[in-house]
Amino acid sequence: MNSTRWRLLAVSLSFMGWLASCSLLGGEASPEPLFSVPATFPQPTYDLSKNPITSDGVALGKQLFFDGILSRDGSISCGECHNQSHAFTHHGHGFSHGIDNQEGTRNAPPLINLAWQDSFFWDGGVFDLDLFSIAPIENPLEMDDKIGNVLQKLRTSKEYPKLFKKAYGTEEITTERFLKALSQFMLTLVSANSKYDQFLAGKAQLTADETAGLQLFKDKGCAKCHSGALFTDHSFRSNGLLPEYTGDLGRYRITENDADKNKFKVPTLRNIEVTYPYMHDARFFNLEAVLKFYAEGVKETGSLDPLLKQNGRLGIPMTADEQQKIIAFLKTLTDQEFLTNPRFAAP
Amino acid sequence: MKKSFLFSALMALTVSFIFVSCTKEEEIGPNDKNSLSIEFDNYVGGEKLVLGSKSYKNSLGEDFTVSTLNYFVSNFSLKKADGTEVKFPNQYFLIRQADTKTLTVTLPDVPAGDYTSMSYMIGVDSLKSISDVAQRTGVLDPASYGTDNMYWSWNSGYIFFKMEGISSAATTATKLFQFHIGGFGGRTSVTANNLRTVTTSFGTTTAQVRKNIAPTVHVVTDVLQTFSQGTSIAKTSVMMNPAASKPFADGYAKMFKVEHIHNDKM
Repeated sequence: MNSTRWRLLAVSLSFMGWLASCSLLGGEASPEPLFSVPATFPQPTYDLSKNPITSDGVALGKQLFFDGILSRDGSISCGECHNQSHAFTHHGHGFSHGIDNQEGTRNAPPLINLAWQDSFFWDGGVFDLDLFSIAPIENPLEMDDKIGNVLQKLRTSKEYPKLFKKAYGTEEITTERFLKALSQFMLTLVSANSKYDQFLAGKAQLTADETAGLQLFKDKGCAKCHSGALFTDHSFRSNGLLPEYTGDLGRYRITENDADKNKFKVPTLRNIEVTYPYMHDARFFNLEAVLKFYAEGVKETGSLDPLLKQNGRLGIPMTADEQQKIIAFLKTLTDQEFLTNPRFAAP
Repeated sequence: MKKSFLFSALMALTVSFIFVSCTKEEEIGPNDKNSLSIEFDNYVGGEKLVLGSKSYKNSLGEDFTVSTLNYFVSNFSLKKADGTEVKFPNQYFLIRQADTKTLTVTLPDVPAGDYTSMSYMIGVDSLKSISDVAQRTGVLDPASYGTDNMYWSWNSGYIFFKMEGISSAATTATKLFQFHIGGFGGRTSVTANNLRTVTTSFGTTTAQVRKNIAPTVHVVTDVLQTFSQGTSIAKTSVMMNPAASKPFADGYAKMFKVEHIHNDKM
């Protein structure tokens, strides 16, 4: 009885091993899907039916993303200011240097989980990912070209007509095809495998400090704006920053509604450890400065979010120790697999 | 004698009446259609607009030249005397003073009939303004503008109306004034809406669409009207914020008049 059991187990184990090795050797393991909705995420906002994601579409989008041909003088690609190792922000830059070394006016936001975002830029001025890429390409401080001219350059290039044919069936290069290929690549930039995600799936343990930080993150109200699996509610809020550095009034620029002055989009906190510096104007270089600001630096901006002035006190009361623990938790949102996945790497 | 004259006169009238009504019925078959063109002839006051160095003066006494004048027209609709209306959705035209062939827009397949008024929108309606990029072709293709841009990439939407030139009243260093008017009302938040609909009666005449008549409606504009609702170059030399552009939009809503209609047989 006992020995039969052991034999059965041995047989089934070796069978499993054979299956595994076979699939590995045969290369028939189902490839990582191009795009999938992580179990803890809601349904995407982006309408995938209008732009079905294909491997050739993503490959084209990736090629475009990392190609300086999208800029006036060929010097600036999307990847110039959106580096994978920093969750597609500009590694350590407050403001990115665009064409002719000109400096932009806002901190480059991360490109992660864009399929769940319903507006783009710190002020939400663009409402469709497919329309997004026109802005940096035509911004005189960034890539300073014209979409029409970029398409013309692609049409006369050696390789792009072939890549468009692979992705779309014909060599025709249109605005729609161009923008949707870029979207396809950007949509695949899904980050959902941080230590915290592994903890939720029962595959990792949080340290005592991280656990305490997670609890504080909820108790102190951080999670009210940085909510859900995406760590943002996509709203526009004033978090107590006066426009003293760049004069940027945020959402007001789009709505021209006084109540929106000093409001900016709540950013995701996923991979926050590597997306420094912080805030739209990059005024804080590390997370310690950010937490300290929320504890003692919040100012009345005229539109300050009510969550940041509870009981007649500005900001969120937090001790230095509590701030450290929240930071420990925030660092569990770093997704090493995403930051190093060769699928997203510059060619 | 007198009696017979009256009789023959009456007879002649009756016959001609029958004749007229007969030909009318013969003229319009149920499936007859033709195109109708609208020609936009841009004027400043009583003077034909010339781009470049020619100087004009607005009602505030501000001198100005016009280097660029572009505007979108869309959502045309033609109305008959009995109130029935023919609409032309999903047709967008960009009038560019610098390009003569854009000054005439043609509506195809207009059912034969006598039309007494016309309405159209200045700008690109909100539905189209939030539509998928697949629907942005022709004059709505952001790649089609070159350096004469009619699309805001940073605040998704079209520039409905664009006028630029030089004015000694301008507060910019180069004396350049730039009026870029857009704003379709917003998608996620309510924002300024500078879409304007122009309705013009054809007065005593009609546009007679027949299978052998493709009428041309001649619209004469008066650019000075853009200043009639409070716009001043000295006050706002660079206008790119939709909320601040409302007076200008109210002004361009008043600048279009139907001058005459050609109903020439083909």
